Amino acid sequence: MSAVHVAGVSKIFNQGTPKQVDALVDVNLTVEPGEFVSLIGPSGCGKSTLLRLIANLLEPTTGAVTVNGKTAAQSRLDQDYGMAFQQAGLFDWRSVAKNIELPLELKGWDKEKRAARAQEMLELVKLPEFADLMPWQLSGGMQQRIAIARALAAHPPLLLMDEPFGALDEMTREYMQGELLRICAETKTTVVFVTHSIPEAVYLSNRVVVMSPRPGRITEVVNVSLGANRSEDTRAADNFFSGITAVREALRGTHADHANAGAVRGVEDR
Amino acid sequence: MTLVNRLRSVAVPFIFGVGFLAFWEGAVKFFHLKPYFLAPPSKILSQFFDNASRIWGAASVSGMNALVGLVAGTVFGVAMSFILSRFRFLSSLITPLAIALNAIPIFVLVAVLNNMYSITSEIPRRIMVSLVVYFIVLVNVAKGLTQVKTTHLEIMHSYAASDIEILRKVRVPNAVPYLFTALKISAPAAVITSFVSEYFGGSQNGLGSRITSNIANSKNAAAWAYVLGACLLGLAFYLVSVVLENVASRGAGATNNTNK
Ligand SMILES: Nc1ncnc2c1ncn2[C@@H]1O[C@H](COP(=O)(O)OP(=O)(O)O)[C@@H](O)[C@H]1O
Ligand SMILES: [Mg+2]
Repeated sequence: MSAVHVAGVSKIFNQGTPKQVDALVDVNLTVEPGEFVSLIGPSGCGKSTLLRLIANLLEPTTGAVTVNGKTAAQSRLDQDYGMAFQQAGLFDWRSVAKNIELPLELKGWDKEKRAARAQEMLELVKLPEFADLMPWQLSGGMQQRIAIARALAAHPPLLLMDEPFGALDEMTREYMQGELLRICAETKTTVVFVTHSIPEAVYLSNRVVVMSPRPGRITEVVNVSLGANRSEDTRAADNFFSGITAVREALRGTHADHANAGAVRGVEDR
Repeated sequence: MTLVNRLRSVAVPFIFGVGFLAFWEGAVKFFHLKPYFLAPPSKILSQFFDNASRIWGAASVSGMNALVGLVAGTVFGVAMSFILSRFRFLSSLITPLAIALNAIPIFVLVAVLNNMYSITSEIPRRIMVSLVVYFIVLVNVAKGLTQVKTTHLEIMHSYAASDIEILRKVRVPNAVPYLFTALKISAPAAVITSFVSEYFGGSQNGLGSRITSNIANSKNAAAWAYVLGACLLGLAFYLVSVVLENVASRGAGATNNTNK
């Protein structure tokens, strides 16, 4: 059973009005359990829309989305996924621990169980002493780690992330990428990850899904697996650079004004 | 803020205030201004202490009207803001009206209200204060309940939270600072409305009517003494609202909040 299955999905905003936007057209995507898949493409190509369709925060205009073998709507009700955004989106009026406990509160867990899980998550993201601090006392990178801890607090099998490191400086960003890989390996979480950074997508992913705008669609899927033991050395390795080159070439074909936008289709396994 | 900066931020207005009073005192003496034209600060201060109990009595009347109106207006304003945030179409009807009413001096309505109650009743004034406070609280709290960060809503939806859960865990906490902002605006407005509504008839027992009656009797310094009392009352209301806000935000641990 696939973790995510997107079949023939289109999303048209404001259909039939002058403001109509064909955000996604005929998108097909399957993500297997344990996989790390990145969505990359120029802004406006529908990455966030695709992620929100998987999260059932939007309904597709046509087609079907299945998560963990259930409809996207059912998986949302079952809290089968956690979500993280570019803004950490912590609640200013809740302590760090209470932020992490939020999804558990909504699931009706009792107090002790929640506190224990929050502590467990804080240890997972290596901020065990921060439980009682308020979000504004944390740096951007720490806030984002808390947001990830919150997203994973209920141990969902799937993590959906929309440019979660987009607002961080380069150093923090690379550190967070390492941490995310470690956390997902430890928790065996499947990840769908939106980014517009090519190195980030290549470093993190098993597969990079390349998208193009107007109308938004998938133009290519690049296999880039750098193996399980990625480290800082990986960023200097040959296969890292060849992955970057492959994704960059795939992206070249994606600008709407490019004459042969579709020409790079099918250039998969590299 | 360093200690020097803090001292400076207190010292500068203080020195300016003292200098201004000295200038006032000096100008009255130097130009031999008649007391009914402008009383010197020293005379006003002595009048203030001579009349302290009467000023206190008048301040209690005006202050009570302001307080009752403030509480009632806040309660109704908060209640209505919940209803508005639930029914958007109502909001689109009422919010522009509330904003428009905020911009005009609706306290003149007290003249109409006075006709509806007995001549000695404080109710018209209290209703007037409530109305002024009501619209301030309504507009601000409704904003706090509706202007919630999109990311927060998406996170709640991703957890399949119900509308009630979103209200309790996101909208209400989000609206708390807005409520205190509204109170900070409302507290002085309540006091001012309470004074001004005394100018439109009814019992002559509050600070506002004492100021006018003293002016009518050419007791300029006494009038100023009541004005001083009015300033202190307004200040007291404002300070209490600031203290309340600090207590509340410390309770929520949100002091030094950096966002917006
Ligand atoms: N709620 C919406 N209503 C109308 N248009 C939208 C909405 N959300 C996204 N769009 C449009 O859909 C397209 C894809 O948006 P998005 O998925 O946010 O792109 P990306 O995340 O790749 O930058 C854009 O043209 C955007 O303007
Ligand atoms: Mg986006």
